Amino acid sequence: MLRLISTIRKELLILLRDKGGLAIMFLMPIAMITIMALIQDAPFKDYQEMKIPLLLVNKDTGSLGKAIEKGLNESKMFEINKQTLNDTEVKQTVKKGDFEIGILIPENATQQLDQNVDLFVTKKLSEAGLGDSVVAENQNTEPLNLSIYFAPDTKKSFRISIINSLKQSTSKIETQTLLNFFSKELNKDGEQMNDKEQMKDFVQFNEISTVETPQEALQLNSVQHNVPAWTIFGIFFIVISMAGSIIKERDDGSYLRIRTMPGSFITVLSGKIISYLFITIIQAVLMLLVGLYLLPLLGLPKLSIGSNVLAMFLMIVFTGLAATGFGVMVGSIFKTHQQASTFGAVSVVILAALGGIWVPVYVMPEAVRIMSEFSPLYWSLSGFHKLFLNAGTLSDILPYLLKLSLFFFACLATAFYFDKQSQ
Amino acid sequence: MDPNAAIELKDLIKIYKGAAIPAVNNITLHIPKGIIFGLLGPNGAGKTTTISMMCGLIAPSSGHIQVEQFSVQKQKEEVKKIIGVVPQEIALYPTLTAFENLQYIGNMYGLKGDALKQKIQNNLITFGLDQVQHKKIDTFSGGMKRRINLIAGILHDPKILFLDEPTVGVDVQSRNVITEHLHFLNKNGMTIIYTSHLMEEAENLCTDIAIIDHGKIITQGKPKELIQQHHTENLEQLFLKLTGKKLRDH
Ligand SMILES: Nc1ncnc2c1ncn2[C@@H]1O[C@H](COP(=O)(O)OP(=O)(O)OP(=O)(O)O)[C@@H](O)[C@H]1O
Ligand SMILES: [Mg+2]
Repeated sequence: MLRLISTIRKELLILLRDKGGLAIMFLMPIAMITIMALIQDAPFKDYQEMKIPLLLVNKDTGSLGKAIEKGLNESKMFEINKQTLNDTEVKQTVKKGDFEIGILIPENATQQLDQNVDLFVTKKLSEAGLGDSVVAENQNTEPLNLSIYFAPDTKKSFRISIINSLKQSTSKIETQTLLNFFSKELNKDGEQMNDKEQMKDFVQFNEISTVETPQEALQLNSVQHNVPAWTIFGIFFIVISMAGSIIKERDDGSYLRIRTMPGSFITVLSGKIISYLFITIIQAVLMLLVGLYLLPLLGLPKLSIGSNVLAMFLMIVFTGLAATGFGVMVGSIFKTHQQASTFGAVSVVILAALGGIWVPVYVMPEAVRIMSEFSPLYWSLSGFHKLFLNAGTLSDILPYLLKLSLFFFACLATAFYFDKQSQ
Repeated sequence: MDPNAAIELKDLIKIYKGAAIPAVNNITLHIPKGIIFGLLGPNGAGKTTTISMMCGLIAPSSGHIQVEQFSVQKQKEEVKKIIGVVPQEIALYPTLTAFENLQYIGNMYGLKGDALKQKIQNNLITFGLDQVQHKKIDTFSGGMKRRINLIAGILHDPKILFLDEPTVGVDVQSRNVITEHLHFLNKNGMTIIYTSHLMEEAENLCTDIAIIDHGKIITQGKPKELIQQHHTENLEQLFLKLTGKKLRDH
């Protein structure tokens, strides 16, 4: 215990006296958080509030028109502008580029849909010898025409997905109307189904999505992204000073001296890890305070940290563990301070980029997103997002804690291997 | 084994990974308790390698090492408790003060509290460093650092002290304090194993020496007797006679 405590004391004393190191550990992430949160404030807002301008002309007064309108509204994808224009006018307006999409629901669309269904049902029923009305042979259904106009520069894939979703929605309405009709025909004396209830939740435009936008992305603002992101980055940057300290002790013989002393070297290593872990916790708390109190002063939104303080603390500790483990590994693999700090800095920056520290992972190309899964910074950031954005609990972040601790042990194992090799 | 032996090496060989020739090539050595033993040799002779194996820092490729009644390979922990090591490098933390460095090292040996403080004070006074004990090591001269490096190895009163070139880069005054104190420690029962390529210093300090070159012991005995045997004036001439004048730059 004495050995552990005095090692921690020694490490902290050395860290506290290293003014340059302290600046990198504390001022750098604070500066990064503040600058990036300010720079990315506008782009994040744009991304969040990005809605597709849509011109809607609804000439129908029945339930179909209403249902489509409701669906479009609820998708929250569109900025809907309702106007009363005719066919050519809609076409012209969309062509001019004022709107990405124009939708025209013709007069009596509901009526026509009903009629079509009615006709269809009666025909089928009479074919089956069930109906009581006689249908003229030449009476044919005429499809209901919904007109959709796209701006000239609209991507084909986007058009297809919009049309598909609309088709899907209207076919649901068709089916519903069809079902209603059947039941009406079949129990003419029976109770009518409640139309309103049936139409509820019937048209949904959830499928209309050209960019995959996870739920989190909608809540993610510049502060919610940048504060945890650069906190994690700052924590991982400790790799450089940690590796440096290990290499220095190896070079100046301290490491050998310690190994000639009685007792396990594990104690000494633990002391080092605990000391740096302590620093990372202070770092993280400081960064969160910046998000809570400094950023609002700069006109940015206040950081929301959820309510699970224990889970948040564990997230910080395990991120710190992963970082210190990485530091020990880098310190053991590389021979010189120069090599270690170069590799440390480059690797942390790459892992940060992959991990969505610079820009959120969901705006990255698919191929990069797959690689993100291998970045401990991504695990950590995902954990923080779970806690901060989705009111996540301990069980939600457990997978991330597990991955981070596995990373920690893998790093230590690698370090021991390299240490053995060099003897 | 001999109960009077501080250290016994038997057929000791060390071949570093990837090395073509052994750094230590079949050394058998008997070092009795209570002497000041000098392991002397040119650069790259294998001094540090031999000492490192005695302290259990590196494993021999083959052979056996006994420190007092303990086998270094099998009872490393027991060995560590009775030895003190002063490494060739200044193994101190430059941004900590002399006192903080010594306190840390004392703690690592399980010493603490007033007893440790007292011990540090006494040593600092002996080595003329009590005035600067609260100054950071990186403000110290080479000689001052060497003296602190030495104190760090003897705080816990080891029975056997290993010193790997403890006087490198040290002025005459510092060297004098160091050798005098080593004599004092030895008189009080400490066995001292010392490496150097400074023959004059070794001649004054050591009761026994062995000259090592290319990983082999060329000769061993009491300095005076060896000088007589080989009809040389001093140890330096003997050394040159035995190891040759060729440079050891590999
Ligand atoms: N870790 C190592 N890996 C490979 N070879 C080594 C290693 N350490 C030492 N050697 C080689 O072993 C030989 C003996 O080295 P050692 O350090 O024991 O010599 P030394 O007598 O202490 O020399 P010096 O007076 O320069 O300190 C040298 O040839 C050296 O290059
Ligand atoms: Mg040496």
